Amino acid sequence: MLEITNLRARVVPEDGQSSGNVAREILKGLSLAVPAGEVHAVMGPNGSGKSTLSYVLTGKHGYEVTDGTAMFEGEDLLALAPEIRAAKGLFLSFQYPMEIAGVPVMTFVRAAMNSQRKTRGEAEVSAPEFLKLSKVAAAKLRIDPEMLKRPLNVGFSGGEKKRLEIYQMLMLEPRFMILDETDSGLDIDALKVVAEGVNALRGPGRGMLVITHYQRLLDYIKPDRVHILSAGRILKSGGPELALELEKSGYDQFLKGG
Amino acid sequence: MQLADLPSRRTEAWKWSDLRAAMAGQETTLIGTGPVGGDGPIAAFAELMGDAYGPSARIVEAPGDTLEIRMTEGDAGQYGSVVVRAGATAVMIERASVSGSSQRSIMPTYSRIEVEPGATLHRVVVQANDVAAGAADAAIVLNEAVVKLAAGATFRQFVLSEGSKLARIEVSVDAGEGAQIELNGVYLASAKRHVDLTSRVVHGAPGVKTQQLVRGVARKGGRGVFQGKFLVKRAGQKADASMQHNALLLEEGAEIFAKPELEIYADDVACAHGNTAGQIDEDAIFYLRQRGIPHAEAQAMITRAFLIEALPQWMGEALRAEIEARIDGWLGTPA
Repeated sequence: MLEITNLRARVVPEDGQSSGNVAREILKGLSLAVPAGEVHAVMGPNGSGKSTLSYVLTGKHGYEVTDGTAMFEGEDLLALAPEIRAAKGLFLSFQYPMEIAGVPVMTFVRAAMNSQRKTRGEAEVSAPEFLKLSKVAAAKLRIDPEMLKRPLNVGFSGGEKKRLEIYQMLMLEPRFMILDETDSGLDIDALKVVAEGVNALRGPGRGMLVITHYQRLLDYIKPDRVHILSAGRILKSGGPELALELEKSGYDQFLKGG
Repeated sequence: MQLADLPSRRTEAWKWSDLRAAMAGQETTLIGTGPVGGDGPIAAFAELMGDAYGPSARIVEAPGDTLEIRMTEGDAGQYGSVVVRAGATAVMIERASVSGSSQRSIMPTYSRIEVEPGATLHRVVVQANDVAAGAADAAIVLNEAVVKLAAGATFRQFVLSEGSKLARIEVSVDAGEGAQIELNGVYLASAKRHVDLTSRVVHGAPGVKTQQLVRGVARKGGRGVFQGKFLVKRAGQKADASMQHNALLLEEGAEIFAKPELEIYADDVACAHGNTAGQIDEDAIFYLRQRGIPHAEAQAMITRAFLIEALPQWMGEALRAEIEARIDGWLGTPA
């Protein structure tokens, strides 16, 4: 479903401001394939390129791909604008969701849903249909419906923001999900609720990349495969037992070997 | 009145809105007008070129009375006074619409307003511009209100300005004891438009409360000017005043000029001001795009939300809808 081959990417300095350094290369020949229906975890220490991977796949400004490919269902993902990637079913649960003042959560999600439908040539969602979907998603994640009338993420706690990311995910029903450090900021009860929401979206036509620092999240979202990312490359891939091994003895054993 | 009598960029209060330069080539308009008097050029234009907008003073005694003033190019200037009697509540709506239909260039309005003890006036100024985007217009819109508030009076104002060759909406308020003031505004400066919101509040008696929130946007070739001054005299103890001006430059080549001023002579006051001008956060735009919203719509959505925050709660639904529609029209978003 998602096939990344020898991907190299670097950070582009802010326009006009050369830091004096050569643009920093973050991804250094990363290869990874997630077949439809599978959940893969990407684990790695700080600075290994986990967030950069999620941003390059979703098309954030400020990164430049210098080599390699990322194909989504046979289509060159890197050639598409971020909103087109989203309409094709790519969803990123942000590590640090943005606060958008003045735009209520529901207004925003409905606009997003309709934008995606429009891009795909589908009819808009009706107001009653949307409200019904929203009610179900909010109940599943135990979100107070009043919260959905407030401006997006403004004044929300870290845990609330993460819950809101998953709410958006349930609403938009993406086909491929990237979860960037979704467990950070969540206490154990919130983590369980969020994981239930995520697991509800697992299915034959869907894929998922769970990016995490710790193994904890993987107790609740069980991966089919685990990849260890270090210095911009996949060092080792294996089954779920790899995450447990990491938890026990840390990254060092792999990094030395690499 | 001669061109040389008009304020120019050398005049501190008009340094970013050069009226003399804007009027150059339109000297014939000045023939037959008298000298600029002590009330300044806007009063002079409005009085000498125009009609009083009612009898010598429009007296509002009944609660809920609404006074509407409309003007477009070619209309006479408007000059008048309004008195809101003690305890009454009034609404004043002024519309100055630029359509590009006439070469008659000056649209002056000058109002003297008196709000008596315990009375309330809500004033809304809508300066619209329907000339095609990017095309120049010749209109010079000048609107000034001089407001005197008695003890316990309330004055709330909202201004929407889309600019013109030169548009200046100016208000000065002299507040009595315990008066409440709100001066919000939104300005939209697209190419070839100049918008100037200038205000001055004198806190000359104790316990005056003033709130000001102005939000503005400018595109390439557009210019927004905000000048705000709060003067708190020695007698203005317990003044509680807050001034906020925030602007977004939507494109390279957009211009925003701002001069927020606090001048305080009393020692027991709470005065705050904030002034920002910058670009939309690209990270916020990316967040919206990742959810499927195209770049232009993401930018419009964030800009709209930014502007709408300055719309006051007290404004009636019809006016609010009118103003939101103008903002949406300007941003190019379907309502």
